[in-house]
Amino acid sequence: MAQFLEQIINGLVLGGIYALIAVGYTMVYGIIQLINFAHGEIFMFGAYIALMLITVFGIPFWIALPLSMVLCAILGMLIDLIAYRPLRNAPRLSALITAIGVSLALQNLARMIWSARDRQFPPEILPTVFQGQNAFLLPGGATLPYRDVFVILLALVLMIALNRLIHLTKIGKAMRACAQNPVAANLMGIKTNQVIAITFAIGSALGAIAGIMVGVSESVTPTMGYYKGVAAFAAAVLGGIGNVTGAMLGGIIIGVAEVFGAGYISSGYRLAIAYIIMIAVIIIRPSGLFGRSTGHRA
Amino acid sequence: MRNCIIILLIVGLVSVWGCQPASKDKQEPQRELKVAVAAPFTGNAAAFGEMIKRGAELREKEINEAGGINGMKLTLIFEDDAGKDAEASLVAERIANNLQILAVVGHFNSSCSLAGKPIYKRAGIVELSPGSTNVTVCQGSDWTFRNLYRDDFQGQFIARYIDEILTDLQSVAVFFDNDDYGRGLRNAFVEESQKIGLNLVADEAYERDSTNFKAQLTSIKAKNPDAIFISGLYGQAGLIVKQGREAGIAAQFFGADGVDSPDFLTIAGPAAEGTYLTTPFTFGAAGEDAQQMASNFEALHGVAPDTWAALTYDAVGMIAEALEKTYNSEASVADNRKAIRDHLASLDTPEEGYMGVTGLTYFDINGDTVNKPAYVKIVKNGQFVAADQQLLDLN
Repeated sequence: MAQFLEQIINGLVLGGIYALIAVGYTMVYGIIQLINFAHGEIFMFGAYIALMLITVFGIPFWIALPLSMVLCAILGMLIDLIAYRPLRNAPRLSALITAIGVSLALQNLARMIWSARDRQFPPEILPTVFQGQNAFLLPGGATLPYRDVFVILLALVLMIALNRLIHLTKIGKAMRACAQNPVAANLMGIKTNQVIAITFAIGSALGAIAGIMVGVSESVTPTMGYYKGVAAFAAAVLGGIGNVTGAMLGGIIIGVAEVFGAGYISSGYRLAIAYIIMIAVIIIRPSGLFGRSTGHRA
Repeated sequence: MRNCIIILLIVGLVSVWGCQPASKDKQEPQRELKVAVAAPFTGNAAAFGEMIKRGAELREKEINEAGGINGMKLTLIFEDDAGKDAEASLVAERIANNLQILAVVGHFNSSCSLAGKPIYKRAGIVELSPGSTNVTVCQGSDWTFRNLYRDDFQGQFIARYIDEILTDLQSVAVFFDNDDYGRGLRNAFVEESQKIGLNLVADEAYERDSTNFKAQLTSIKAKNPDAIFISGLYGQAGLIVKQGREAGIAAQFFGADGVDSPDFLTIAGPAAEGTYLTTPFTFGAAGEDAQQMASNFEALHGVAPDTWAALTYDAVGMIAEALEKTYNSEASVADNRKAIRDHLASLDTPEEGYMGVTGLTYFDINGDTVNKPAYVKIVKNGQFVAADQQLLDLN
């Protein structure tokens, strides 16, 4: 029972991380129908930037965290400005190939700057909540590290905030309008490029904080964005790409499935089980759990 | 704006391309003997690669400062296999087709040595590994050698050490890297455990790319083992130890030579404390010449050498000795490559063996070194030190 409870928590932590990354994929796709492969790299940069701010510049963790989010938001907007905006009216494939190129370039850039070695957040500079040994002891012998609680709550709060932002604010309304029909939105006076830039910024900031959360509990490597990014992308597809609520739920499902696959069946099937669930869902509902039926726009 | 894209793409291309050091060789009359060193200089075994490179560089420098090999300069060519078997095949092809290279010191990862083996065999060039311990590495090729023990020995050794020395530990869990090295070592350990009656309570695998081991660790924790044997490399082992302690696992951690890197200590942090591991060589138990090598190494590189630097230092020395005894500038490349092999193969008794800083090396019929003992180290105050009790009579 304790084991089951711990596995659920492991799954929720991983799922929360995936959800935070997946919304970045899905928001961008929802508006410009582009699978932004570079998003995983922004996640990775988030972790590296925070690490550098802390270890090189000596900035306290709680300031480095939002600062890294801001810097990654700027990086996301910059990528859109340099690489994607010029291709806005080009065939979709061009933008997709560009996204892959940006992803490779950023990954190798990280390797050049920070080398391929695994890096760690030095434990002594981390706030108490992230020190892994600090944990609640649950009845039945299960341990619940503060950090896990923090990550789950953080994901939850950010998801709710994002949901409110999209549904209750003016910029959220503009984003939804652009997702429905960018041309019509533009005619109504919405500055589509600005809205797209803000979408990139929000997705990148969420990706960055996910990267930092992974960095403090695992390690920081140039390839971390690739592995987590692929799983998060699967989560976005599972939830129905373009749908933010779907991405959140998809992240949780993939995370829990991965942990249960590895914990109860075999680690060799770790991602296989998560992907089997994704494929099964796609077969039954081709547009994902929350996806709109296809063909809404030619 | 379009220019920006082009620039970005060029940056991307250059950086991808830049990862592979282009080995350019001009036809030069200058007399130098080229030997390749193939190891993981990038990727998740890069900490090993770095030490291998430094150990090789030290030996190269010492040989050349002492007048080279029969007056000819020794030049090492470093090739990066990134610790991946697919990359190792490409590297092996590149080396085999470069007719200036006379022998190969490498690869490090067992899977890489195995990937290179058929290519080196076909080309007829020696592959001398200073790090691969998988049982099958030297089998089936006359051209592959190694100067350290095999995993069947190491796996048995760890099981025996836990059984005979750490008698408090009644039940053991295995957590292994699902590649040639991790699996082979795990098999040897499990086999010996069953033979001597060690109680094996869990047997879990992980993939090399993983950084999150919570799911498997939670399963292992539920079985409540006294000891956990990690059969894998330092990067994952460091995270496993760290995440294991965080998950409330109090068991004794045990690793093998794959964990023997200073990076293990930085990755695991304070959680590394008390971890046992086996190693083919330790400076603490070595002789005068090893201490001399260690101080020369530190003078050159500013850091202390590790096990792999020492084994590579010896491997380069063995190749240099073979070149000194056999190289004939009149003969063809193929003949010179074969002469090196024949020389190594002739080192088949303790009397004929090569005496290096890591002890005596001689080969059996496969090209394996079977005489070298395993040492046990423990992490104390953030440092590897020799464990109080060794088990050296196992051979």
